[in-house]
Amino acid sequence: MKNVLKRHQARQAVVWLLVAVIVVYLITGFGMTEYRIVEPLTFGLLTKLLAFKIHTILWMPFLVLLILHIYQRTRTVG
Amino acid sequence: MRKKISGVTLMFAVSSAILIAAGCVAGDSMDETNELRPAEVREYEGEKLSSISDFRENSIKGPQHVDIESYRLKIAGLVASPADYTYDEVINSYQNYKKRVTLDCVEGWSVTILWEGLLVRDLLAETNPLPDAKVVIFHAYDGYTTSFPIEYLMDNDIIMAYKMNGAALVPERGFPFQLVAESKWGYKWIKWITEVELSDDVEYKGYWERRGYSNSGDLDKDFFER
Repeated sequence: MKNVLKRHQARQAVVWLLVAVIVVYLITGFGMTEYRIVEPLTFGLLTKLLAFKIHTILWMPFLVLLILHIYQRTRTVG
Repeated sequence: MRKKISGVTLMFAVSSAILIAAGCVAGDSMDETNELRPAEVREYEGEKLSSISDFRENSIKGPQHVDIESYRLKIAGLVASPADYTYDEVINSYQNYKKRVTLDCVEGWSVTILWEGLLVRDLLAETNPLPDAKVVIFHAYDGYTTSFPIEYLMDNDIIMAYKMNGAALVPERGFPFQLVAESKWGYKWIKWITEVELSDDVEYKGYWERRGYSNSGDLDKDFFER
């Protein structure tokens, strides 16, 4: 029972982390191409350069989380 | 039957009258010449070219509309003979060159265009740069700036373009002049050039360079430090 609960919590954690990474991916993508809008909207916090820096390293956690998520789903379904 | 034919005839007559009237009105408006956007070539020496409309608009303040009547190109700073040219003086006083060059933007897109203009080297030579001049700073109409070591402009065939794909630059693409900063990232390809300043400030940083972009802007290197 404990193991099932732990697995469920781990699945949830991966799902929410993946959602967060996707959201940041989208925002930084806009921060690169639509910097004239995003920069003032974020009070100058997300500059075009910062958006670039974050966006270009995000592929790795995104890929890891996506693979984990798919793995967890196949195990649940299987 | 006769009634029907006359109805059709009436309709035909009315339509003809409308068409004739429309023709007259159109004829009147034909006196005014409407300016069309310039036609561009899409192939050069067997190689395909991108279109003028393939660029993404990413300038700092949007497209600039420069009034060509009052426009002056200033060559200033560490030069023996500062100059101040009109648009016509620039395009008529120097040898014209054209070259197919690809612009690579840091955003990930690129365009290959046939650029036509004068060599920056010729422009600078005219003003006799002083020995202390180490850096050339380009200023644009919207306040944008970027800089290059003087050797980059003197040792390479760097074009200051006033035509792309055979047509004069349009305001969105940097009319009157755009720098074709070959082998540099797109942010070094300054548009709407108004001033070329020679300086001894080797630490000078332009608009994006002050915000962390590489000062050299070399295409074979990252544009920011990881």
